[in-house]
Amino acid sequence: MAVIVRAENLAGGYAPGADAITGVSFALEAGTIAAVLGPNGGGKTTLFRALLGELPLRRGTVELAARPAYVPQTDRTRHDFPVSALDVVLMGAYARTPAWRRVARADRDAARATLERVGLADHARRHFGALSGGQRQRVLIARALLQDSRVILLDEPLSGVDATSAARIDELFAQLRADGRVLLVATHDVEQARRWDQVVCLHGRQVAFGPPAATLTTDVLRRTYGDELVILAGGDRAIAVEHHAH
Amino acid sequence: MPLDAPFIQRALIEALLLSGLAGVLGSWIVLRRFAFFAHGVGTAAFPGLVVAGPAGVAPQLTGLAAALLYAGGVEWLGRTRRVATDAATGLALVAALAIGVILASDVFEAPASVDRLLFGSLLGLSDRDLWLTAAALAVALVLDLRLRRSWLTQGFDPATARALGVRAAVADPLLLVAIVLACVVALDAVGALLVTAVLVIPAATVRLVAPSVPTLQAGTAALAAVEGVGGLWLAYELNIGPGPAIAVLGGSVFALVAAVSRWR
Repeated sequence: MAVIVRAENLAGGYAPGADAITGVSFALEAGTIAAVLGPNGGGKTTLFRALLGELPLRRGTVELAARPAYVPQTDRTRHDFPVSALDVVLMGAYARTPAWRRVARADRDAARATLERVGLADHARRHFGALSGGQRQRVLIARALLQDSRVILLDEPLSGVDATSAARIDELFAQLRADGRVLLVATHDVEQARRWDQVVCLHGRQVAFGPPAATLTTDVLRRTYGDELVILAGGDRAIAVEHHAH
Repeated sequence: MPLDAPFIQRALIEALLLSGLAGVLGSWIVLRRFAFFAHGVGTAAFPGLVVAGPAGVAPQLTGLAAALLYAGGVEWLGRTRRVATDAATGLALVAALAIGVILASDVFEAPASVDRLLFGSLLGLSDRDLWLTAAALAVALVLDLRLRRSWLTQGFDPATARALGVRAAVADPLLLVAIVLACVVALDAVGALLVTAVLVIPAATVRLVAPSVPTLQAGTAALAAVEGVGGLWLAYELNIGPGPAIAVLGGSVFALVAAVSRWR
């Protein structure tokens, strides 16, 4: 199958002389869901910035078959903005809409269809900030779908969402995989990562890459999470415990 | 209020032109959290206005120069990271007010004009003032038409703006330039200290109830027009300054809408 996303020995960062990520190499074929696993500050979002072309690269290369769509965490958006769910989804058509024109009828119809696809057709006119966290996440995913990219980067899309939304998102991921799209999903949840096709483990540098069953060994997880890793009784499960600075 | 008097007609036209600026730009000022920037620009322009009379040049020109100097200075200080941006802003505003007062009262010895420069005089405008405000409104309308999606996306979701094809690196500086222009042309009408009465308070009021950006812009323009004309009428009838009258009226309406919207 064709490789859609390829990173070769990627290194880069914002601060002069300091790499935020280094030694990142992986290749993802069409129809792949890849977890980008690591602790807070491990470089997951930074890798996405590199794939989006927003991170100054110092070494290595990125090859993409399409300009990626990006789904941020919902708390990175302004919930007080006077925009409806449909308004947010329509932002996905801005890049192809001349500034002086209304968003095309076809794109408006497509926006409603994507809202329906994420199970929020009845919420199109609702204020974005009034939706639940899971519903907001689904709206942001719908916006990425309207961009119609073959590559979608999702930053912790299942973090803190309700069970209904999580089930919807999981179902949607399966559909997108069947469509031949590539999804890179940042997560710090080891059990989530085990469900997908590939996993990139990051801790500033790339610790490992490969299918979860072969990659997520205790040793790799220890090197990925360091002190934040807790091995549960029996040794067959591991969870990452996030430490927050106060 | 004698509607056939030219100075009243000019004041009414200016109030309506400023309400257009409030609708187009005031909404973005409030949504993008540039209210303090707008207030800072107005205050920073004060020494420029003081110099204009004795120098024999248009106050908008010297006010614009002072405002741009302020905006550039704050941006530079913030970038050097030797001074926090809020401290740099406070420093610049105190310096602007102090320099303005010293220039007005001790250098040019015209202390009587200080009140007018700080609080404006909607009843003492020239045709040139109206044309400048109309030009600033035209610039604001064109920029809004061209860049509103960038301003919206960059404000709502800055982390994704570039991935959505939005070029904030160009759009946001142009928004700041438009705000500086709007503040400068509003100075003659409402003065250095009350620019926010026109450009911020109506938008902040409508923001409490507006469900969308177009509604916010239209509602703000309408409210600013009502407050501008109402403040002018109050000023004439009560023999008080139009700028303060508009500011008090705007503040009162804001308090009322805030209380009602919270109660509902």
